[in-house]
Amino acid sequence: MAQNKVDLSVSLGRIAMRNPIVTASGCSGYGEELARFFDLRRLGAIITKSITLEPREGHPPPRLAETRAGMLNAIGLANVGLEAFLAEKLPALAAHGVPVIVNVAGSSREEYVRVAAALDDAPAVAGIELNVSCPNVKEGGMEFGVEAASLAGLVGAVRTKVSRATLIVKLSPNVTDIAVTARAAVEAGADALSLINTLRGLAIDPWRGTPLLTNVTGGLSGPAIKPVALYMVRRVWEEVAGPRGVPILGLGGVQFVEDVLEFLRAGATAVAVGTANFVDPETAPKLVEALGEALERLGCVSPRDLVGALDRPACR
Amino acid sequence: MTARRALGHKFVCLTLAAPPDWESLPGQFINVLCESDVRALAASEGRPLDDSCDLWPRTTGLEIARRWPVVRRPYSVSRIIRERDRLGIEILVRAVGSGSRFIQSRPLGSALNVVGPLGNHFTAPEDDRLCILVGGGCGVAPIFGLADYLVDAGKRCLCFFGASDLSEMAATFRAPPAPTGDRIVPTDLVSEFARIGIRTVVATEDGGAGFHGLVTVALRTYLGDARTGRFGGLRAGEPLALYGCGPTPMLEVLSEMAIERRVPCQLSLERFMGCGIGVCLSCAMKRRDAASEKGWTYRLTCRDGPVVEAGEIVWD
Repeated sequence: MAQNKVDLSVSLGRIAMRNPIVTASGCSGYGEELARFFDLRRLGAIITKSITLEPREGHPPPRLAETRAGMLNAIGLANVGLEAFLAEKLPALAAHGVPVIVNVAGSSREEYVRVAAALDDAPAVAGIELNVSCPNVKEGGMEFGVEAASLAGLVGAVRTKVSRATLIVKLSPNVTDIAVTARAAVEAGADALSLINTLRGLAIDPWRGTPLLTNVTGGLSGPAIKPVALYMVRRVWEEVAGPRGVPILGLGGVQFVEDVLEFLRAGATAVAVGTANFVDPETAPKLVEALGEALERLGCVSPRDLVGALDRPACR
Repeated sequence: MTARRALGHKFVCLTLAAPPDWESLPGQFINVLCESDVRALAASEGRPLDDSCDLWPRTTGLEIARRWPVVRRPYSVSRIIRERDRLGIEILVRAVGSGSRFIQSRPLGSALNVVGPLGNHFTAPEDDRLCILVGGGCGVAPIFGLADYLVDAGKRCLCFFGASDLSEMAATFRAPPAPTGDRIVPTDLVSEFARIGIRTVVATEDGGAGFHGLVTVALRTYLGDARTGRFGGLRAGEPLALYGCGPTPMLEVLSEMAIERRVPCQLSLERFMGCGIGVCLSCAMKRRDAASEKGWTYRLTCRDGPVVEAGEIVWD
């Protein structure tokens, strides 16, 4: 088969991935949920739900509202906490043989550093994704994500304790210019950037006059945010990531293989699937398959050939 | 979708051809793709794109939710139909929003994209106690399959169906049950129970058929008053098992009755779900947990439910 010519493998920092398709934080559980549907080794990597130092119950429901072409959520960083994650969830996930990226959230610089340091000591953790952009929890790190100086301080502090795992900073779209925070993160030592997190939004029951979420506001995801995400990936790639050779993990509304091609062309090295996992739990492995065919059709031998390619239709 | 029939004036019962290895237990649910994206729908049905333009949202009147469904819609498996070598599953649909309208509008012979079976299930009592099955509104859906299951397991069953009036009842009657005022008169007119021969107490709030009043009042009347020991229709002290599915106020009353009588009671609960597979964490509900300081923890309706023992539920 001609398909053998396409090599889907990519690297995100020091993480060697079989392909550029990963499942996004908060949309992959702790892995075992998706493993019921497909072999996780078909993914490039899996990114866990945010882990905090202590377990968190999360917000009172309703936590999710459907919006036109999108979804608003305010889960409230519900998670089992670092200790239970390391003892129970991580070994189970590592057994699947897929690179594991652990998303980390915190309410203080110290909390981020402690969690990240513990994860760096766990060989099963390939990458650490700093969630500095949760729009739903007051102490969810958003203060770090929107202000360049505090972001640089946080990333720098975590960097001193993370020497083995690839350090990824997940940027918030809720900023005036995402290139500013991207630059701050890279200069403070980020190995890679992921963008975008959800956009802060509001949904209202027009007749009852109440917000649809207990938390009032939530994070918007799904097809509705894809153009915003593509623009921001492009902006960061041009201003920061491209010139410095820092890989981007692009996400926001990815559902079809064309979306993956668009993110690669905008400047992403890898692409994450989030909300689409809820529509079809097998979206990510289907995209892997479709991406091989799409690249072949474009005459590309690797997804790397398309990264940043806004100037030409194809590789040949 | 192999068959469609009306149930009452408000519901349709759809039969879906199930794969030959389909196994589900009563109370489990399926998550149905209500895809408004014409591309994804065409792909999921294997149809060319231009057949799908009837899916664009209609905007005739405010009662139609002008939303595009994004996430799947959960439906209880109502009954499993075995005919010779063919296996079918029935779901009950009431067109109330964009998702259910989509499902109802699919032509016979079209494919529905379904994830399932999901969730836990009702269980049969170990002894031969009388099983009382209570369904309110579209909550009768899993009751049909539960009745089949319990009767096949050799259990004795009695059903209680409630609705505001007979046209709102999601069941087929060979003839309309006569009004019985405040008396409890079980009927054998429910067509769905013809094969298994169990009887049903019908309760309508307008009194047009069967008991005049709420189904929970009918049940309380039937059971008599626990404090005075005045048991109507039952031997004093006869062991029971309660099962219920329906609106939350009905389930709350059932749960109170069960706790006050120390009767096991399994209730099927409903919450808005993002994914149905334990990933998005949006369908959290409070469950009693002695190990927790607050006395409860959030558990997921999709994974740790939808069937919950009444005594475990924390009603908000």
